[in-house]
Amino acid sequence: MSSVQETVFGIIAKEAGIDIGKITLDSTLKELEIQSLDAVQIIFEIEDHFKITLPDRDPNFDTESVKGLVEAVEKLVAEKQAAAPSTPT
Amino acid sequence: MRRVAITGMGAINALGHDAAATWSAMREGRPAIGPIANIPTDLLLIKVAAEIRDYDPLRHFDSKRLILLDRVSQLALIAAREAIAQSGLEFRASGFGERTACIIGSGIGGENSHNELSSRFYGDRNPRVHPLAIVRVMANAPACHVGMEFGLTGPSFAVVSACSSANHAMGQAFEMVRSGKVDFAVTGGSEACITVPTIKAWEAMRVTADDTCRPFCKQRRGMVLGEGAGIFVLEDYEHARRRGATILAEFAGTGMSADAGDIVLPSETGAARALAAALADAHMAPDEVDYVNAHGTGTPANDPTESKAIRRVFRAHADNLAVSSTKSMHGHALGAAGAIELIAAIGALRDGVVPPTANFIDPDPECDLDYVPNTAREMPVRGVLSNSFAFGGLNAVVALRHA
Repeated sequence: MSSVQETVFGIIAKEAGIDIGKITLDSTLKELEIQSLDAVQIIFEIEDHFKITLPDRDPNFDTESVKGLVEAVEKLVAEKQAAAPSTPT
Repeated sequence: MRRVAITGMGAINALGHDAAATWSAMREGRPAIGPIANIPTDLLLIKVAAEIRDYDPLRHFDSKRLILLDRVSQLALIAAREAIAQSGLEFRASGFGERTACIIGSGIGGENSHNELSSRFYGDRNPRVHPLAIVRVMANAPACHVGMEFGLTGPSFAVVSACSSANHAMGQAFEMVRSGKVDFAVTGGSEACITVPTIKAWEAMRVTADDTCRPFCKQRRGMVLGEGAGIFVLEDYEHARRRGATILAEFAGTGMSADAGDIVLPSETGAARALAAALADAHMAPDEVDYVNAHGTGTPANDPTESKAIRRVFRAHADNLAVSSTKSMHGHALGAAGAIELIAAIGALRDGVVPPTANFIDPDPECDLDYVPNTAREMPVRGVLSNSFAFGGLNAVVALRHA
């Protein structure tokens, strides 16, 4: 498991108040019974932690599934590191 | 038009975490004004307030729910729980919810949340605002959360008029029950705005005291900020009687007026009009009032003006009135003031004890009424007026009658 994935799982578990063991890459937020207000808080915590901005309505980013969310975060983190490799994160 | 009964009361403020503790402290003349402890004081010139002590939100709310609740909503919920439990009404189970108004006043709403988000945004330069900021800050949040917890689905909203917010809110709720638009109301006020910038803003107006709150006396140096909530259940009087509810007092009437004068200085005539209107609305003769719970902020401006207004309306009977300001004990809770002060009004009616104006040293010739200095007085109390005279000249007086 990548560290981004671990962190994202941890944030989902904490914000939604669910057992981290229940979360898999194939889970959807709906299956995990995550309410929209919780989903919004999850996005906020992820953005705050990684210092990235997840796009609002980009059809290329799937934020409904955990896999989509992890991939979006990994991509944005990589882009950020490529832009400023000497900046400590 | 129907009569309106008060069948439940709840409160949390510097005097205590419930209505009984609040009234007990009022009766004993025990001020709860002291050195500020809940926020850092290094930048403050005014270092006294009437803060709620020993309050742990996690004792009342689970951590997940707490994320939605600014302190102002927490306090409203705690007071509402007490009031509704006392009333014995179960709004959801009985189906009364849709016949119930939920009207809760607040001067500024979720000021702690607003302060936190500003601090993050400008101070930490973090451009990410928490997604729940809006619903924490909005001044209607207390009304929403109380309604949500108890299933209140009738007319629900917040009322804002600075220091008169609670009296105005309760007045609106009272009108709705009296007219039959609703059969019940859960109403009052809540305020929690003791933050560093808020204290600085009050300091800048030079109306806050640096020692304590001494309404009506010569040595008064201004107001002292408080915080808290007071919530009441109002009910159609006949319905309350028929179901054998304990009627705490009759909510008899209200008087409302505006000075249309100065944005801060009160007007004697504006206040007098509200007092007279309250008596008329309650069908109370001046000599049926035994106690006036004054606005009594302890500022140079309010106290003589209010005294003159009372004299103007009550004439000869003014000398028979007991007039006290309980702000001397619980501070000025702004949008919650009228609600916390209604606890004093109800206590006076039920127990036949008028709470004192605490911290009173020497009389001021400009304030020549009987302010019940320092010690509570046992006396029969048939009718009470409770005054709120807000910045901008928005006046609201509530009249209560013995149950």
